[in-house]
Amino acid sequence: MGKKIGKHIAIYGKGGIGKSTTTSNISAALAEAGYKVVQIGCDPKSDSTNTLRGNNYLPTVLDSLREGNKIHLDDISVKGFGGVLCIESGGPVPGVGCAGRGINAAVNVLQELRLFEEFKPDYVLYDVLGDVVCGGFAVPIRDGITDRAYVVSSSDFMALYAANNLFKAINKYAPTGGAKLGGVIANSMKPGYHREIVDDFVTKTGTSIAGYVNRSLDVQQSELYGKTVIEAKPDSAQADIYRNLAKYIAENENLVVPNPLGAAELRDWARSWGDRIYDIENGVVGVAEAI
Amino acid sequence: MSGVIKNPRNGCALHGALQTVQEIRGVVPIIHANAGCGVINYLSALSTGEGRGLTGGYNAPGTTVQERHVIFGGASRLREQIKNTIKIVNGDLYVILNSCESAMVGDDVEAMTREIVEQGEPVVNTLVAGFNGGAHYGYEHVLADILRSVYEVKKNERKTDETLVNIFGIIPWKDPFWKGNLDEISKILKAVGLRSNVFFGDNGGVEDLIKAQNAKLSIVFGRWGELPASVLETKFGIPKLLFPTLPADYKDEKELIEKISELVSVNKEKAEQFLAKEKKYEENYRARILTDLLDYDIGKDAAIVGDEETVIRVAKLLKSTFGTEIRSVVLTDVLKHDEDHLADYTDDIEGIVSKVYISSDQKEIEEILKASKTEFIIGSSFEKAFAEKRGNAALDISFPIYDRTILNKTTIGTVGEIGLIEDIVYAVKKYEWNRKNNLVAYIRNY
Repeated sequence: MGKKIGKHIAIYGKGGIGKSTTTSNISAALAEAGYKVVQIGCDPKSDSTNTLRGNNYLPTVLDSLREGNKIHLDDISVKGFGGVLCIESGGPVPGVGCAGRGINAAVNVLQELRLFEEFKPDYVLYDVLGDVVCGGFAVPIRDGITDRAYVVSSSDFMALYAANNLFKAINKYAPTGGAKLGGVIANSMKPGYHREIVDDFVTKTGTSIAGYVNRSLDVQQSELYGKTVIEAKPDSAQADIYRNLAKYIAENENLVVPNPLGAAELRDWARSWGDRIYDIENGVVGVAEAI
Repeated sequence: MSGVIKNPRNGCALHGALQTVQEIRGVVPIIHANAGCGVINYLSALSTGEGRGLTGGYNAPGTTVQERHVIFGGASRLREQIKNTIKIVNGDLYVILNSCESAMVGDDVEAMTREIVEQGEPVVNTLVAGFNGGAHYGYEHVLADILRSVYEVKKNERKTDETLVNIFGIIPWKDPFWKGNLDEISKILKAVGLRSNVFFGDNGGVEDLIKAQNAKLSIVFGRWGELPASVLETKFGIPKLLFPTLPADYKDEKELIEKISELVSVNKEKAEQFLAKEKKYEENYRARILTDLLDYDIGKDAAIVGDEETVIRVAKLLKSTFGTEIRSVVLTDVLKHDEDHLADYTDDIEGIVSKVYISSDQKEIEEILKASKTEFIIGSSFEKAFAEKRGNAALDISFPIYDRTILNKTTIGTVGEIGLIEDIVYAVKKYEWNRKNNLVAYIRNY
């Protein structure tokens, strides 16, 4: 690959954890700040960019590849809020074929179409299914496609487990030119011990927090209207949270190779937190005392 | 661990399965893989004189899987290919061979097969992904899968035939003498009043697959073939008889007939007459090579490279005929720890040979041969070329053999035994003759 045009950022996270919502709001905030942004959904669900483009239909890259006709950039992309160029890689129907290879093929098609040379973006965000179940889903963080990845996680142990898996993938690929980690985006934060769990996890793995995003009804309501918070509720506190997060991600150059926890280590760590949460929830100890 | 493997001779499971079904008359393969899998098999077979036929060569039907079939699944492409193949190529049985790609993507080939079978077509499928094993694995598994399913998709009636015996373990192409060896086994069994179900070649065909359920016994020569025999045992209660090798000489023929007669009724009178004739035949020709034996010090020591069955059989023959010291052998088929077979012939080899190696890497094999410091090398064309380069005597009997045509020559039974002895003596005499001539030429030119 030649010189990269724009900053290429991969955002991973367990399915349903809010990574598309977060990515779309970051894209919207960057666009609002005047940057040219591309958001590429790398998930067979192909709903990453829904809130940027008002839920309108957008053919996926792989849909076009399946047709077998010559693909044009215009067929598979649409400009959404603030001029963000929205693209969905797409994938096979569930239970059939190989979605991992699909992601790989879709990224290749975008390179062949000279997307970045044509559009000249300042930022390219890849919104990737976060369990990194096979090599295909690691494509955005290897082969020099992105140089930085962020992971969206709540304080839920399964979400942190997925984050830890991503750390393993980064750990494997970083020495050969793969992406490094920019940080963890702590999502769905509620009062109590949630922040502390994620804080403890990043300390243990030698990573850092890129930003805390509180659980908010503004997000759900905006989504129901097919919009990002930045577009639907630009004056809300939640919009500012996303703006700050976008600013951090845009400026952050502190990239690290994480130290993922081993299987037993992760289990023990989760168990110790589980015990403490049990005590808090049952009123045995107070929050401050437990953490 | 990674490294370069030079000339791995046998190909993958898909290749083994394809070679197997291409030699069963009436079977049409449908390869569910990229185009290269079938073509490579043909091109590599071409130089050994195999690979042609109705569904051989470039005519083997296949789905030629491409990237979009990997991403979106290749099942509908397979459905299209099955239908078109049935329309264009006449066959009695269509066998879908599933490749690595199909296995990794998880195409529901079983459902595709069921769909076509429900329409009344005789189709079965088998998974022979290259990452599961080599060509020998492919031979076993395609036969086993066909025998598991063929009775549900082809009209058949089961009626035990007291004289019918299934023959497993002689692998088309992988045994360069497979046609002659099948004929020879059939000849031996016929001599004692039995009939062979050989599956392959002129005397085989889809009808043999159907008849296999009627057999009184299955015989497995060598390790490979146990699986299909076990399928028949489980399904129809047909017992199986395992032998480490095909019969190498009169003694082995006698043992084979004796063991068969414990399970199947053989014509005792015919058997005695036949064995007496075989004994005489062997003694006569063995006596005729005595002069050569004394003159040439034939077979003082040797190294053998090839499939386990061939190696054990030829090592035994060399030892009993010439008193040869077998310095080392290299097995090219049993490449990993084998827990799939009841048969374990390690003792049979270790009783005859000083050193047993396992490798399909030509570079490593050549180093083993060098270290064995033997003057006579038996193996494939690869080892023959290596031996000739080093000035050793050599004989090619293992796959692949590139420099001669083998139609119906046999290496088993007393006929094959005498033929092999003839070849061994020829190889040594030719080597000595060339050496003498070179010496004479050198003296004259001096």
